[in-house]
Amino acid sequence: MLVLTRKSDEALRIGNDIKITIVEIKGNQVRLGIEAPAHIAIYREEIYEKVKAENRLSANISLEVFRKIKEIYDKR
Amino acid sequence: MISFHTSRFGTLEVEEDKVINFPYGLVGFANLKRYILMDHRNTPIKWLQAIDHPDVAFLVVEPKTILAEYPIRIDSATRHSLQIEDDDDIAVLLIIRVEEDKIIPNIHGPLVINSRLKIGAQLVLYAENN
Repeated sequence: MLVLTRKSDEALRIGNDIKITIVEIKGNQVRLGIEAPAHIAIYREEIYEKVKAENRLSANISLEVFRKIKEIYDKR
Repeated sequence: MISFHTSRFGTLEVEEDKVINFPYGLVGFANLKRYILMDHRNTPIKWLQAIDHPDVAFLVVEPKTILAEYPIRIDSATRHSLQIEDDDDIAVLLIIRVEEDKIIPNIHGPLVINSRLKIGAQLVLYAENN
C-alpha cells in the first residue's frame, strides 16, 4: 500500500480523473472531498464489506431452504 | 435461445432478451454479469440465477412485500450507468436470506434494474444509523 502524508486542503490525484481533497481534519476524523467521473462508484468500506458478506451468505441457498423461506413468507 | 446449466434447476433455456446484464456484477461477484429472474407461482419470491455459474442464485423480492417502507434514492451515476430515462422502468429488488426462521433482507445492497433495457446494478447504500 502506498502511504503518503497530506495536510488539510491538500489533495491527491489518482490517474487523470480522480481527485481526493483533504477538506478537514478534526480529532480522529478526516473529511474527504472526492471528485471522480460519474461511472466510478464510491463506497464506504464497512458498508461495502457488509453487502459483500450478505451476498456471500445469500448466494447458495438450497431449494430446501427456499421452501422454508417461502413458508415463513407465506405465513406473514 | 441460450442454454446453461444450474445446480438447482438443471439445464435452463431462456430467450436472449430475458437476460439481465449487471455490467459490474454484484458486490463480491464482479465476474458474474448475466442473470435471469425466475418467477414462481404462489409466492413473490423470485430466484436470480447467474447464467455463468451453476451454483450462484439469489432469492429476491420486491421491497414492499417485506418492508413497510423502503425509500430509495437512485443517484445520477446509477441512472446514467443503467440508462434510465423513465422512472417507470426502474425495478428494485432486495436479496433475502433466512437466519433462525427470520427473513433478512439485504437493505444496504438493493438491486436496481432498468426493466426495459435489462441492465442492473447493486447499490451500496450508506445508512447513518446502521
